Amino acid sequence: MRAPAHTWLMLTLALVLAIVVGACAGHDWATPADLFRAAAGDQALRSRLLVDWRIPRVLAASLVGALLGLGGVVFQGVFRNPLAEPYLLGSAGGAALGATVALLVPLAMPQSILLPLLAFAGAWGATVLVIGISRVSGAFDAAGMLLAGVAVAAILGALRSFLMLALSDETVSLQIVLSWVLGGVQTPTWPVLGLLALISAGCLSLTLLLAGRLDILGLGETMAVAFGLNVTRFIAVAVLAGSVVAAAAVAFGGLVAFVGLAAPHIARWLVGPLHRPLLPASALVGAIIVTLADAIARAALPPAEIPLGLVTAVAGGPFFIMLLARRLRT
Amino acid sequence: MTSLVADSLVLKRGGATLLDNLSLSLGATGSVAIIGPNGAGKSTLLKVLAGIDRPLSGRVRLGDRDLASLSSTARARTVGFLPQYFDPHWDLTVQELVRLGAERSDRLTVDAVDKVIDTFELGGLGRRRWSTLSGGERARVLLAAVLVVDPPVLLADEPAASLDIRHRLDVIGTLTRRGVDRLSVVVVHDLDLAFRFFERVIVMDRGRIVADAPAAALIDDLRLDSVFKVRFERLRTPDGPLLRATKDPP
Repeated sequence: MRAPAHTWLMLTLALVLAIVVGACAGHDWATPADLFRAAAGDQALRSRLLVDWRIPRVLAASLVGALLGLGGVVFQGVFRNPLAEPYLLGSAGGAALGATVALLVPLAMPQSILLPLLAFAGAWGATVLVIGISRVSGAFDAAGMLLAGVAVAAILGALRSFLMLALSDETVSLQIVLSWVLGGVQTPTWPVLGLLALISAGCLSLTLLLAGRLDILGLGETMAVAFGLNVTRFIAVAVLAGSVVAAAAVAFGGLVAFVGLAAPHIARWLVGPLHRPLLPASALVGAIIVTLADAIARAALPPAEIPLGLVTAVAGGPFFIMLLARRLRT
Repeated sequence: MTSLVADSLVLKRGGATLLDNLSLSLGATGSVAIIGPNGAGKSTLLKVLAGIDRPLSGRVRLGDRDLASLSSTARARTVGFLPQYFDPHWDLTVQELVRLGAERSDRLTVDAVDKVIDTFELGGLGRRRWSTLSGGERARVLLAAVLVVDPPVLLADEPAASLDIRHRLDVIGTLTRRGVDRLSVVVVHDLDLAFRFFERVIVMDRGRIVADAPAAALIDDLRLDSVFKVRFERLRTPDGPLLRATKDPP
């Protein structure tokens, strides 16, 4: 079933609206007119702050949300499990461990290269580990994978905490790591924001290449093989792609819980379960969620900022419980 | 025209021998029923013939090619497989499912999808989701998705087992009719259906083929009684013999 055009129009408008609300929100609220003036090149300090700080931050939040939405669809598609998401299955935890190592351990490479690389390696390694554990223990189903994921995530979290305690002597670096763990979009410079946009577009194209085969895999392994899919190879490729997406999301937004879980669900209600429309729809939904959550994070308790991960966890936790309850009942 | 030949297939899993040096030759046309008690290896054989499971040793030839040497897409176009259980993870619509089946072929037109939807009388169901379909509708949708590319070989694992008798006859009829100009191999649990509708019946037990003969010739074979561990009474009816099982040892 093709999603009607008005669904896409509605999603896009909602995202634009979320971005405007996000750009207005903060401990110092701006009006849409302020935004317009700033965007038109006004040189007043307030306008400059909006252009150099708030707007890039809001756009970065929406891109991180889009990445989380994409990652969630890929992981749910690979695991054929609507409860799968990068955060729960350890891959985000793996990425965070990789990022912690990059931030705290002095290595021979510049941090800007090392951090995404190690984040990716961590995400990929953790996912492969979870699949391996659940396969070996013969629990390659929803519950088995979730348990393996929770266990791996707990181990990785403990390792990360240990590294943080053992290696950070300067409080500055500890604070950087902590802001990662709790999830938070860093304010990027405009060139870095451009890079993030490029990466996000790349991730969307990459995952769209998998869409048709994710549909086939959703028929179950036997039918997928019967319909000509090389299941083992495809799962390996898709996990790799999902890890790239999760690593990119973690590298720019830290550990943000539950968006990767909720966005695909909401998108499935809107456009159906076929992956070709689902991927962009989930990216849009994820972008909307994180943009709004980031706005709440910045504006709820001025002048302090609540970590983004806490906002999404508070909102997403009940959502997860609801899904779990509905699943257990059927 | 695609014949299917299995040569000395062995498959073991967890210490159990599922296929025990099994050889089998199937021509390019014909309707073949595979029967046997639970655990005889019928489903396993079908999956190996379809290229879904790999045998430990032995090989399957499809026409003049080794099945293992075919690309998975070429195999999927030539061999249609109907599983015993099918439950898609995502709640797709009828049209989406049939289209996924059609994507196996690179030559199919949109017409082919519409045609198969007509053939299986799914016209009114196109936008319905899988979870809302009845058992009979599901069987027809699955058949349509598998047969939309019109594969020369069809392997079906008792796809009608859970259906009511009318739908069961429909499905079995569709499968056997394909045997006129293609190869149709079906694992059947209902022995009367096997003997009444199929040209050839293969009896399996403990990973081996015990008997393999034209249906009419096999129904009086006493090996049926020993394989199924029951005593069969052969009731003569105008339509041919019927089997009635009693639990007395053979």
